[in-house]
Amino acid sequence: MNSSKKIGTKFNWTKEISLMPGYVIITLWVALTFFLLAWIISASFSTTREIFGGRVFEFETGLNFNNYVKVWTAHMVSAYFVNSLIYTVTTCVVTILIAAPAAYALARFKFKFNKLIQNMFIAALGIPAIMIIMPLFYLATVLDLTNSRLTLTVIYICMSVPFTVYFLLPFFSNISSSYEEAAYMDGCGPIKTFWNIMFPLAQPGIITVTIFNFIIIWNEFFMALIFANHTRLRPLGVGLYTMIQSLRYTGDWAGMFAAVVIVFVPTLVVFLIFSEKIIASVTGGGIKG
Amino acid sequence: MKKSAKIIILFLAPAIFSYMLVFVYPMIRTIVMSFFAVRNVTDPIYRWSFNGIENYLTIFGSDLFIQSVFNVAKIWFYGGISVMLIALLFAVILTSGIRGKRFFRASIYLPNIVSAVAMATMWIQYVYNARFGFLNEMFTALGMIELAAIEWTGPGMLFWSMLIAYSFGMVGYHMLIFMSGIEKIPAEIFEAATIDGASILNRFFMITLPLLKGVSKTNVMLWSVSTAAFFIWSQMFSPLVPALQTVTPMIYMFQTIFGADLSVSVHDSGAGAATGVILTLIIIVIFLIVNFVFKKDEVEY
Repeated sequence: MNSSKKIGTKFNWTKEISLMPGYVIITLWVALTFFLLAWIISASFSTTREIFGGRVFEFETGLNFNNYVKVWTAHMVSAYFVNSLIYTVTTCVVTILIAAPAAYALARFKFKFNKLIQNMFIAALGIPAIMIIMPLFYLATVLDLTNSRLTLTVIYICMSVPFTVYFLLPFFSNISSSYEEAAYMDGCGPIKTFWNIMFPLAQPGIITVTIFNFIIIWNEFFMALIFANHTRLRPLGVGLYTMIQSLRYTGDWAGMFAAVVIVFVPTLVVFLIFSEKIIASVTGGGIKG
Repeated sequence: MKKSAKIIILFLAPAIFSYMLVFVYPMIRTIVMSFFAVRNVTDPIYRWSFNGIENYLTIFGSDLFIQSVFNVAKIWFYGGISVMLIALLFAVILTSGIRGKRFFRASIYLPNIVSAVAMATMWIQYVYNARFGFLNEMFTALGMIELAAIEWTGPGMLFWSMLIAYSFGMVGYHMLIFMSGIEKIPAEIFEAATIDGASILNRFFMITLPLLKGVSKTNVMLWSVSTAAFFIWSQMFSPLVPALQTVTPMIYMFQTIFGADLSVSVHDSGAGAATGVILTLIIIVIFLIVNFVFKKDEVEY
């Protein structure tokens, strides 16, 4: 994974100069990314007047935390934030409880439809949301669940299961079967063996897939727009979307950028902590076509 | 044996049930629905009436739908080529032995994990802003008056502005996948080629590129799936009424089923279902083509 070049390697001028064009291109791109993010964060602490005057980085009026206070309370961002947390955390937990046993069964037991079921889960990754929303909306209406957080939560869980099963499968296949044999000798039943021994052993995979699920669900927009479009039920993404439409007309730009920051900070923090883990599993063949 | 069957069922049942609930049942119902006249999404089956391929004729007779397919094809093609080329270039640079590789890699990937609503807001309200926007200020500072005067979110540029903003965030993801392919190529091959006097460009075209067939296929597949689902960016760039420049099949369907908007006068869920079926067929066809173009001759080292 790691390149063989460590910080300690001797500085080789000819090599570094030949890499110069590469450094320039990459640095420009990254500088642009950081500049845009820095501008948004600064704007969220300044005033609308400063934004329009192009003086975002000067902080003449100090750090205006009241932008955050305002959107957090007056625009219901606190409620949206809590909703997002409820949807995301519930989905992450329940998905693992459903997907981990399934992945284990598919990885460990030989039976007739094993390969078919695996392919079935993989196929779900390519099914466009457009194919499933109408009947689900119908179901939610018939069951009188259109005004409940339960609907979106259940949909998120069911939609996360295929990817999670697919991701966890190799982690269970790679655990030596001697653990199960030893557990069997000790008279441990299969259910207990799974939860007490195999599940903890698959922890690296479980943590990584949960990080992915967290980011995906936190940022999900389409399903939320359809299934949680009551003010009370909205997660942050949809909340921000409706808020932007109104803030544009009230002209509170500083507040709008504060809302943008509130939306991206949680995933940003997760990424800062786990970036190596996330990147390793994107590049490590965790995701294949 | 009996016992292990019981365990298998116990372990698999919740996952299979969730799959049936959210994928199998809805897909079957949507396919059936696409052959019936259905007004509201909440109409029970006894209020459907069979009308053959009428829904398909309706959507193919709609300018908005035709435009939406055309737009998504443009996103797939132009966006795809730009994103793949930039991602490949960055992947090659990052694997060429530069310092700070981990930092650069994480920074380029970063926009991909930020909520698309937040990213789109940043582009629309800041980068493209006509009064204090990044592009406006930059071009003014550089003295490029014509470029500074471009109305990025005006009707003429709307599609391209949207495509640039979207592609910017996708580069990092596809770059990571290219990098994984490049890093799997054993260093000895490059060393041997270098000793034989191959230049950087030679090494790239003769070694790296041919060996990247597998990851290129993955990249094209993933790009196709995400393009087919193109929705948020379009919704953000023309929030109230879908503009002709940015409408995509997802937006079209959303409007036909749920739209309170004026662009589609009546709700027509049958047509919405037909849109879904057509989009799924397009994805399947693209998959078959990609599989055919990148035939299975993956290299083992």
